[in-house]
Amino acid sequence: MLRFRPSRRGERSRRRAAKRLFIRHGMEKTAEGRSLRLLRQWLSPAQRVQFAEMSYFEVVGGDTGKRYRIYAGAATNVCEVDDNGRPTLGLCFLPMGDLPIGDVMLSQKIALECSETQARGVARSFAPDRTFRGNRLLR
Amino acid sequence: MQIVMDPTGDSRHHFNPHDAQEVAKAERRFYELTHVGFTAAARTGPGQVSRSFDPSTEETVFFPRLVGG
Repeated sequence: MLRFRPSRRGERSRRRAAKRLFIRHGMEKTAEGRSLRLLRQWLSPAQRVQFAEMSYFEVVGGDTGKRYRIYAGAATNVCEVDDNGRPTLGLCFLPMGDLPIGDVMLSQKIALECSETQARGVARSFAPDRTFRGNRLLR
Repeated sequence: MQIVMDPTGDSRHHFNPHDAQEVAKAERRFYELTHVGFTAAARTGPGQVSRSFDPSTEETVFFPRLVGG
């Protein structure tokens, strides 16, 4: 008799869907959920909409006026974008300690908006690749 | 309210801006954290980094020193 075994593909998509739900709604009692709720509270209305729809949000550098995109993630998740929205330079910087991703993203947002030069001073830069297309963590 | 990021998400410290003792405690916390490298930011429009303690700020978030990844 044949046993029903869910396909790997199905398992993967279920796991992704659960992760997506988790991130969208934020499990309030978990560190990740709390941090994402705090992040949403600190986003501007436009950034909140963008984050909900695109799973990233953009900020304007406080010193240079350059545009940056912050993706859901805790490392190599920030890039500078050109006028056409194309990533031109990846930036990797994060707060010390083992913080949940919402906290990391909020720190990156505040740093770029309020002390861009300082943030860029500590950031490691890298060439952005395909990983910056689409929703890296959520799809 | 002071919100300090940590591995649990954050720790929240409420204080009454009209209570001198609570304000003093909040002020102490502000300088202790910023002294060890935390950045304090007030939620005003796009956010504003605070270099000095202001008890009238409704919400201040503290995050640890930034490092390159």
